[in-house]
Amino acid sequence: MSDLYLVSKNIARNKLRLVLNTFAIIIAFLLFGVLGSINNAFNAGIELSADDRLVVVNKINFTQPLPLSYVEKIRAVEGVKQATHANWFGAYVEGSKIFFAGFAVDPATYLDVYADYLTVESTQRQNWQQNRQGVLIGEKLAQTFGWKMGDRIPISSNIFSNMDGSHVWDMVVEGIFTGAESQADTNYLLFHYKYFIETQTFGSDWVGWIVLNTTDPSLNDQVANAIDEQFANSFHETETSSEKQFNKSFLEQLGSIGLIITSVVAAAFFTLLLIVGNSMALAIRERTREIAVLKTLGFSAKHVFRLVLSESLLLAALGGILGLLLAQVLVQGISQAPQIKNMLPNLVLTSDIFIQAVVYIVVLGLITGIVPAYRAMQLNIVDALSRR
Amino acid sequence: MSESALFELRNIHKEFIKGKEKITIFDDLSLNLKKGDFIAIMGPSGSGKTTLLNMLGGVDKPSRGQILFNGSDITKLSEGQLAKWRADHVGFIFQFYNLMPMLSAERNVELPLLLKNLSRSQRKKHVNAALSLVGLQDRAGHQPKELSGGQQQRVAIARAIVTDPEILLCDEPTGDLDRNTATQIMEMLQTLNREFNKTIIMVTHDPEAAKYSRRQLHLDKGQFTDLETAA
Amino acid sequence: MFAQITSIISMNIRSIPQRFWMSLATVVAVAVVVAVLLAFLAMANGFRTTLQGSGSDELAILLRTGSQAEINSVLMREQINVVSESPGIARDEQGPLISPELYLIVDGKKKDSQIKANLPFRGIDERGLELRPNMRIVQGRMFEPGKNEIVVGEAIQREFSGFEVGNTIQLGRAQWQVVGVFSAGGSIFDSELWADVRTVQNQFERGNTVQIVRAKLTTPGDVTAIEETIKSDQRLNLDVKTEKAFYQEQSQGVSDLIFYLGWPLAIAMALGALAGALNTMYNSVAQRSGEIATLRAIGFPGLPVFFGTLFESLVLALLGGLLGAVAAYLFFDGLTTSTLGSSFTQVVFRFDMNADVLLNGVILALVIGFIGGFFPALRAARLPVLLAFAAAA
Repeated sequence: MSDLYLVSKNIARNKLRLVLNTFAIIIAFLLFGVLGSINNAFNAGIELSADDRLVVVNKINFTQPLPLSYVEKIRAVEGVKQATHANWFGAYVEGSKIFFAGFAVDPATYLDVYADYLTVESTQRQNWQQNRQGVLIGEKLAQTFGWKMGDRIPISSNIFSNMDGSHVWDMVVEGIFTGAESQADTNYLLFHYKYFIETQTFGSDWVGWIVLNTTDPSLNDQVANAIDEQFANSFHETETSSEKQFNKSFLEQLGSIGLIITSVVAAAFFTLLLIVGNSMALAIRERTREIAVLKTLGFSAKHVFRLVLSESLLLAALGGILGLLLAQVLVQGISQAPQIKNMLPNLVLTSDIFIQAVVYIVVLGLITGIVPAYRAMQLNIVDALSRR
Repeated sequence: MSESALFELRNIHKEFIKGKEKITIFDDLSLNLKKGDFIAIMGPSGSGKTTLLNMLGGVDKPSRGQILFNGSDITKLSEGQLAKWRADHVGFIFQFYNLMPMLSAERNVELPLLLKNLSRSQRKKHVNAALSLVGLQDRAGHQPKELSGGQQQRVAIARAIVTDPEILLCDEPTGDLDRNTATQIMEMLQTLNREFNKTIIMVTHDPEAAKYSRRQLHLDKGQFTDLETAA
Repeated sequence: MFAQITSIISMNIRSIPQRFWMSLATVVAVAVVVAVLLAFLAMANGFRTTLQGSGSDELAILLRTGSQAEINSVLMREQINVVSESPGIARDEQGPLISPELYLIVDGKKKDSQIKANLPFRGIDERGLELRPNMRIVQGRMFEPGKNEIVVGEAIQREFSGFEVGNTIQLGRAQWQVVGVFSAGGSIFDSELWADVRTVQNQFERGNTVQIVRAKLTTPGDVTAIEETIKSDQRLNLDVKTEKAFYQEQSQGVSDLIFYLGWPLAIAMALGALAGALNTMYNSVAQRSGEIATLRAIGFPGLPVFFGTLFESLVLALLGGLLGAVAAYLFFDGLTTSTLGSSFTQVVFRFDMNADVLLNGVILALVIGFIGGFFPALRAARLPVLLAFAAAA
């Protein structure tokens, strides 16, 4: 028998109470795990942005177009390693109502600029670059629709019309790309700019935005200023910012999601502290006599203190770990839903949430146990034993 | 055969505050106890019998005076030192047994051994020895709620002796038992005293139980009257 | 019997202060759950109200087929000319009552946080203004056609910087002067900037295209005639819906999110609060087991004892529910905030905590109180008298 045995026997004395308290703790950590992951997923776009990638959009608003000619001009700016361009296509499969993202890009350069973010097998990449109608499908998107290499798929745009009168573009799956990190978004597709621009009816030689790598992140500001100055006072003024900034300002428009989530989780934990703390205090109060007896047997005050604190820590750990595991299961389940895939493609329970949770488990155990443990330590044997 | 004083109580003064009153239990009490003594302390309620027992066990401290155990003053020890002293030298037996309800009989007996540096097999040996001494090996795995009052008290005795302490402090050990069981328990205590040379100090209301002791002390108004019994 | 029940109930309730901390834990737990639920419901409610109030049954909206939102749509002059002759569209001396409108996004800054925001910029003509009877100028005047003038919705002026009447503001590549503020009755249009459609077309190089056409219906709610016209003409790849239906669809997305996030969250937290309530009530029964045993020994039947415990739980939960409702009301009701709507533009809405929402909160509290008290009450009522005496000893 060890201290741990004693502690676990004590915890299990009142089975009902143990179940109720563990359940409450599980709920709190479940909330933490799921909401924390959602919060992370919202911010993931920001976190995963590369240091050396800049985004150039129309100064009026990112929904306004830029001339294709700007791309070459930007490539000539000092400090620009390479530049590519993209057009928002807005995609859905003809007949289905599920919308996802589609981009018409420059096949020669797009993958290079995003080399640290996307990975494609080299033969697939070549095939795609050589096929005008070729399309690269993100891994998650491929999973959702069950698309495989070689499939001919009709992709519709909810914005643009094809010259042939429809809004369908026939594409051939030439490759499937994966994200470099688990949280990377792979719920979209990439196809050829030329195929798009020459068949759509909105005008010609325009792009949605331009993305570039700088030769060194320290040159970012300099390059951004140079680009914006070049096009100042022209018909299409530009605004260049780092990818991180761009994603951040987009997210900020959603409102303070992070604040809401943090408040809810904090409220849940506060309530939990009250519930479990009270339970612990009560449980120890009920055991006054036994604690006194332990002391008569020769258990020192410090030893008794440790025993009680271990009990509250064990309880916190029990509920906390179970709650986290449940959160993991739930997050995996939720992330499969199509609406979620669109909005939060990077929904996953990351290791930093686990680590935070462990810290909170310890804090919970300490706070709920410290007062009862102190009381037990200070317990006067004579008083405790004389109470009949 | 010289029998040295195991316990020497010198000029013990014990008082406590109750509301606005200061109540003095002992005033200049002195007492010598030898190793191998079996003492029954009797007296009216409130005379301080339990307080005396508690002081002997290091659970309570006198307001003034010294308690010498083998020559060293235990009133000077810190809480931690006293805990260790108790673990090494003292075993307690209570009227209501005070076993841990969620532990089996053998785990209850094992408890004091956790404070010593022993291996698992060593602990098991001591526990078995203690349980067989009180005749409860076959009940080792039972929980207190599955045992009768007498059996629980025997487990308590096993727990009290498992570390082989010199002293056993008993507070009304037969108070909650019927006559037959009480006799059983007292015979056990007597054996522990006569065969194993344990020094036993017992507080009791029960004259039948007191008969098993070697020496009877009557405590009243803070003073002792010695009533010797034939050994 | 009734007297027995009421006397035990009052005994129970008056003994609550003995179990102060545990009872407080339950009250706080329920309060938090109710507050969270109400906040979400108020959000969803407010958002839905804003968008729903924005749609009229008397107007139809025409967009390019498959456009999810106004900004995605593109309509050519030719298409407009053809479809405006369709039966089902009301006419007056000037011709069909239609309003071709442009819908663009421009940048603005939120007043409180200075964060960049997407604002909707609508190009509209005099007919368009006629079609909006619930719109009125509350400050300044309407813009003049052909000039770089804009009017802004009330919500825009309130939430975003720089839109005071008389200010000049840069939108796109040109300067525009704010000449008035309008109110659109709390609907989504309060979050918009309006200007003359031809001026906007020019400034933003839209040629002769627009994004959307609003048309007055001859019969409110009936778009079938227009649908027929569209089907029969190849050139018309359009969708038509009543304005009301259009905005109802728009609001689905965000209010769905709030709804589908809010309720599961509230239920999860409610379960946690329930665990707390059960804990408190079982403890209450245990603590009072001596009392209960005495009552039973005297001769009280189980039923009053059952009700006593059940009511104790309900009272605690109700207290928590009221506390949470009051807190949520004070904090959230009337709070305006804005978030991303479906066209990637900001929609300003209020947290709307009406009686319906509050009722939900109270019901949740009572459910927790009931379940949290039911089982312990059962235990109290069936407590074997002797056991209770022993436990109390």
